[in-house]
Amino acid sequence: MRRRVEELLQELVNVLVVIVEACGAAVIIVGAVWAFLLFLWVGLRDRSTRAFVPVRLTLGRFLALGLEFQLAADILKTAVAPSWEEIGQLAAIAAIRTALNYFLGKEIAEERRQIGEDGDDSSGDPTDHRRTGRTV
Amino acid sequence: MSSTLAAVTGTMSQVVAAIALVSGGLALAVTRRPALALGILLDLLVAAGLLRLVGDPGWRTVATVAIVIAIRHLVTYGLRLGARSWKETRKRRPDRTRQRYDDSARHLLRPAWRR
Repeated sequence: MRRRVEELLQELVNVLVVIVEACGAAVIIVGAVWAFLLFLWVGLRDRSTRAFVPVRLTLGRFLALGLEFQLAADILKTAVAPSWEEIGQLAAIAAIRTALNYFLGKEIAEERRQIGEDGDDSSGDPTDHRRTGRTV
Repeated sequence: MSSTLAAVTGTMSQVVAAIALVSGGLALAVTRRPALALGILLDLLVAAGLLRLVGDPGWRTVATVAIVIAIRHLVTYGLRLGARSWKETRKRRPDRTRQRYDDSARHLLRPAWRR
């Protein structure tokens, strides 16, 4: 009976892990494609260095969100980790994702701070595209 | 199910890598700023690397992605440091000149014997 419950739990966790990882991957893919379209738009229309920065920040936010999903999947995976090999891999991947999430957050904050210092003339949230009339 | 997801994300990671090259090239062509173009390229390459980690990657894949991300951070940090020092040098230079002019003017208007 106990073994049956364990197997059932393992199946359930595996399905949940796949779903959550798929969500994270979807967020990253959508973010990359969206950023690409915006890069094309900004590159062909504005042709200014400043216009690229909000797009990079948007991409950074998408990546951070995707990483959150992937970390959630890692946490779920720890519920069932049968061998030391798998636990080791899981720890390595979780460490990479956590470090990346941390640095991504710092980079976004740094970019925002730099924009705030540079553009006092156009103060406000640089990622707020509504201010410039763009629909992002 | 997991292997299907890994296959899809593997293909998509190649698409994102191609997107990274196009976006980086476009940014370089439009702005003529290699630092910005490199930043965009590396951001999108990290996205491609993250997609490669979905599923059950082997040690080799994990190590490759970790090295790429570490290099990416090193390059970004170096670029940012260089840009900051360049900016500070450019900012500081006129201030120093102005200070020197102010000191000279003050000295001429109020020589030491009048103080």
